[in-house]
Amino acid sequence: MEQKVGVYVCSDCGIGDALNLEALENIARNEYRADVVKTAPFLCSQEGSQIIKDDINNEDINTIIVAGCSARFNTDAFDFDPLKFVVERVNLRDHIVWTQTPKADQPSEAEEAAPAEAESADSQAGGEEAETEAGAAEPAGEAEASAGDSSAAVNENTQEMAEDHLRMGMVRAKKSELPKPQIEEINKTILVIGGGATGISSALESAAAGYDVVLVEKEAELGGWARKMYKILPDKPPFEQTRKPDIDEKIKSVQDNDKIRVITGANVKKTAGEPGKYEVTVSHNSSSETINAGSIVLAIGWKPYNADRLGHMGYGKFPNVITNVEMEERTSASGGQITRPSDGKQATRVAFIQCAGQRDPEHLPYCSTVCCLTSLKQATYVTESDPEAAAFIIYKDMRTPGLYEEFYKTSQDNPGVMLTKGEVTSISEDETGNIILEIDNTILGEKVMVAADMLVLATGMVTNALPAHIEDVTDLTPEYVGQWRETETQDGIIKEVIADPVVLNLEYRQGPEMPYLKYGFPDSHFICFPYETRRTGIYAAGAVRAPMTAMQSVNDGGGAALKAIQCLELTAQGMSVHPRVGDMSFPEINFTNCTQCRRCTVECPFGVLDEDEKGTPKTNTFRCRRCGTCMGACPQRIISFNNYSVGMIADQMKAIKVPEEDDKPRIVALICENDAYPALDIAGLNRMNISPFYRFISMRCLGGTNLVWIADALSAGIEGFLLIGCRFDDEYQCHFIKGSKAANERLGKVQETLSRLMLESERVTQVELAMNEWDRLPQIMEDFAEQLKEFGPNPFKGF
Amino acid sequence: MADENVEKSEETAGAGEAQAEAAAAEESVVATANPEPESGEPGAEGAPEGESPAAEPAAQEAPARMIQPDIKFVREVMGSGGNDLKKCFQCASCSVVCNVTPDDHPFPRKEMMWAQWGLKEKLIANPDIWLCHQCNDCTAQCPRDAKPGRVMQAVAKMSIPSLSKPGFLAKGVGSPTALLLMTAIPVIILALVIGVLGGGSFTPEREVLGGVEQIVYNNFMKTIAIDIVFSTFFILGILVLALGVRNYWGMMKAHADREGIRLKTGGLAQVGPVLSEIITHKRFGKCDETKDRKTSHLFIFYSFGLLFAATAVSVLYTYGPLLWGGEGTHSPFPTIHPVKFFGYTGAAAGVIGIGLITINRFKHQQKTGMGSYFDWLLIVLVIVLMFTGIGSAAFRKLDIGVLAYPTYFVHLVAVLFLFMYAPFSKMAHMVYRGTAMAFARAAGRDTPM
Repeated sequence: MEQKVGVYVCSDCGIGDALNLEALENIARNEYRADVVKTAPFLCSQEGSQIIKDDINNEDINTIIVAGCSARFNTDAFDFDPLKFVVERVNLRDHIVWTQTPKADQPSEAEEAAPAEAESADSQAGGEEAETEAGAAEPAGEAEASAGDSSAAVNENTQEMAEDHLRMGMVRAKKSELPKPQIEEINKTILVIGGGATGISSALESAAAGYDVVLVEKEAELGGWARKMYKILPDKPPFEQTRKPDIDEKIKSVQDNDKIRVITGANVKKTAGEPGKYEVTVSHNSSSETINAGSIVLAIGWKPYNADRLGHMGYGKFPNVITNVEMEERTSASGGQITRPSDGKQATRVAFIQCAGQRDPEHLPYCSTVCCLTSLKQATYVTESDPEAAAFIIYKDMRTPGLYEEFYKTSQDNPGVMLTKGEVTSISEDETGNIILEIDNTILGEKVMVAADMLVLATGMVTNALPAHIEDVTDLTPEYVGQWRETETQDGIIKEVIADPVVLNLEYRQGPEMPYLKYGFPDSHFICFPYETRRTGIYAAGAVRAPMTAMQSVNDGGGAALKAIQCLELTAQGMSVHPRVGDMSFPEINFTNCTQCRRCTVECPFGVLDEDEKGTPKTNTFRCRRCGTCMGACPQRIISFNNYSVGMIADQMKAIKVPEEDDKPRIVALICENDAYPALDIAGLNRMNISPFYRFISMRCLGGTNLVWIADALSAGIEGFLLIGCRFDDEYQCHFIKGSKAANERLGKVQETLSRLMLESERVTQVELAMNEWDRLPQIMEDFAEQLKEFGPNPFKGF
Repeated sequence: MADENVEKSEETAGAGEAQAEAAAAEESVVATANPEPESGEPGAEGAPEGESPAAEPAAQEAPARMIQPDIKFVREVMGSGGNDLKKCFQCASCSVVCNVTPDDHPFPRKEMMWAQWGLKEKLIANPDIWLCHQCNDCTAQCPRDAKPGRVMQAVAKMSIPSLSKPGFLAKGVGSPTALLLMTAIPVIILALVIGVLGGGSFTPEREVLGGVEQIVYNNFMKTIAIDIVFSTFFILGILVLALGVRNYWGMMKAHADREGIRLKTGGLAQVGPVLSEIITHKRFGKCDETKDRKTSHLFIFYSFGLLFAATAVSVLYTYGPLLWGGEGTHSPFPTIHPVKFFGYTGAAAGVIGIGLITINRFKHQQKTGMGSYFDWLLIVLVIVLMFTGIGSAAFRKLDIGVLAYPTYFVHLVAVLFLFMYAPFSKMAHMVYRGTAMAFARAAGRDTPM
């Protein structure tokens, strides 16, 4: 494509007042030979965008650079077909004009915030007496601007900042090519693994949306736990009464649905391929078949915590100590009669211990969210079985989230439900088989004993994503559940986890199952994206991903079905799924220079890259989320996107004019587009002042940081590098899971190199920042700039 | 025997968790040999030989005690005005806002919990349910609208059958369905007195007294008959209450012993201070939400005092002279007479008091609720008492016989109702609350005034 470049500078929102736009225009025109350069007020207005459209029609402009507001705003006004036009937004407003000292209207504040600028700016003077002078200077400045020489009115540092950003934007646009989306015929069947409440909901919702569904269930019948319930929790307003499960009706509608194929008694033997092209081998009735599917909903649910580990609570020791699951099964089998196991006698005093293992660092460190509700529900079984029967619930804290509070209230009003906070200090049995509980720290105000016919332990939920043999969720191998293996290589002994296959048996280089973050639950970005996993096209729903009730699971099933559909539809258009939804670029590898170092295949957070025996990466484009972590990882710099590459960003840095003067340092900040970029926008919106010496380069993810840039930029006289990315490790907030962590690991290496070059390693620093911490940003940047000042100028400057 | 085992297993369990588990598993076999929910009498726990060993370790760490949750009791509390009992989630706002509770183990939070668990014995063998003055500060401040004040009152009411014997009378008085029957009893008694025993007349003639023909109630119903019948019930009431006080004190004492609390003084030593507190209504003044209750209650309190004085003086004038062979003064007494003085002032105080009480009930309805049947029975009774009393006097003066005699009859029924059921109705509070106050003082468990 031959580029015809149009540069459009917006003069509103204070941009025209703060900057010499003519100088900007000249840069575009003279330095970069732009075909069209225009300044207009309110580019985002209909008239404004019409100017661009006219140029597209009349001048064949295909590369559009909009220098105005943040790329996050007015997206509709600058929405040009990405397959025809390269659009680059230079954020003059939010990142520059709004973060810099206002020209003359607030001299005292300006003085306080940035004395250096006040000194260098002609029209700006410190002190209170300058007020009138400054006020007088403004109209003069405007007059000059209209006369063609407004340099006296603008802050020199701000202007330089804007100019460098325009240059960087020009370079980026010029280096961008139009994406060539990979469009292939894909299979749009949705495979749902697990036929419980969640899976059934997923299957029905997908079918209702018009998609073919294959529902695979391990057991001989659909329904999962829901079929074993005597009654279910209230799931409709006013959330007060339990009711009989209606799972049979749902099973029937699944069976009657032409679009849903049900395979029961089945196991997934192998999952190969990528979104749109999954080939899943399913075995059932001692035969196996391959199912082609486009996306997968993983709804394999939960299992109860192994109560054999609760011997200290009398389980396995006393016959009348049972789990809540057993209570459910017994009541269901008897049709509502509450009897106890030892002698079949009617149990009219039933004690429940909440958190039987949950929120206990030795057992399940998390709250299972449903056990309090389950005990309240089972307490109603007790009171309904006999008007004189009572249920004693001993809890650490009652947790009945959301509208279930109404059910809690209803249960409290039940005279037969007796609740107390307390700590059960001993559990014993008397000769009649009754269970004696000794309870301390009760709100009854004393240590008490209570005798019950039967004790129900409210045990918690464990995800079925954990292999069956795993007993202790607190002691898992990191990231993947499996076994440690030590292999001897030429680099020494490598210790790695060989993941255990559980359900998916993925044919992925990264292992047969999905990574977890905590306690075995398949991990995704934990704040923003439910259902997502770290395997594109596979969506976890229901209790497999987090403990939840049947009602929540049903919602989850629907939600995950929608994600699966989104994935299919985007993949069919060659587009990325979240978070870069609609991105049609994809990583391309120049294999001739590949050294088979495996960095990219190891670092890819989504298991996009498989590798052959030699270690040559094999891409599965549709698994890719376009973060560019592979691009950052590659020491050969052979991975790039059409519109995002190592060379492009290196050139952007080279476009920065590094002045000779020592009082004008240049600092490059690589900012993550998901958090740091908007954080900076918000800082600007709040008119927080930041140092004018920063030059911002927006990254898809810090994971794309290639070390070559740092060497290049430092040798070009850049004083320092600030990488502003997301929090990583256990509390990570990275949209691409491990991008900011990967950047940090690489940084450790570059810092060693810097030390060897007798440069301060802190010249390259990474900070973790969430979007809501925008108010910290100016200080972070100020501190870093201050530190660089202490180090003195980059010795390579001027070479 | 059983009790020893309870203690033994408790101590073992307290000693160490790991061993306790095994030990308790064996030893407590006997501990819970009584699986019956109804513990009924405190015998199982409070048998004498169980007392001293329980009191000893209490100083260090209280041993666990077997509790017997009683759902019937919970239902009963909920049916007696404590309908919202179970809403309580033990935030303790009630105990925090209560001004009349002692600081240590404050009420009504623990009572709410005990009541939710149906721990009847704990509740009624405790001075606290009667120390509560139903200010209803707690009810007004309760974030969950569990109305602790109402629960306290319901429990207090429900403790009466255990204290005033025979208990079925208390149950009758407390039950709206029994109202007709309970009213019929004094009506029949009085009718019998008039028609058969007392020699009164249902169609009394007017009598000339002091030169004026006027209504004389003595002809309707002989004063001597009234005095005999009413005195009998009055004395019976006092006896029942005295036994009730003994019961209550015994229960509280036994409970305190189990808890290892030693009384500092005897009960009698506290009579003086308690009376002085009652006379001044100091504790009542601490209510926040219903401050005005102190005034209205003081009026009623002194009204009853004055009316009692009127009765006493009239008895003195009627029968006193007989002792030395003179002739007693018969009713009607002259308008200027000590009896009349006490009567008029008492009636005035009573009307003001009961009027204020009624107004306050409505005024505080939003914040503290209207109160239960148990409350209103007494309020209505006092209203009837006051107005029929005044009415009797007024109609007699105005010489309207058609109204005077029936009014007088109703008045007598009301008074008899009050006397007969005093130990079983809300009237009993004056005695049991006093007992609770004395016990609390003796146990060193009292609010500084």
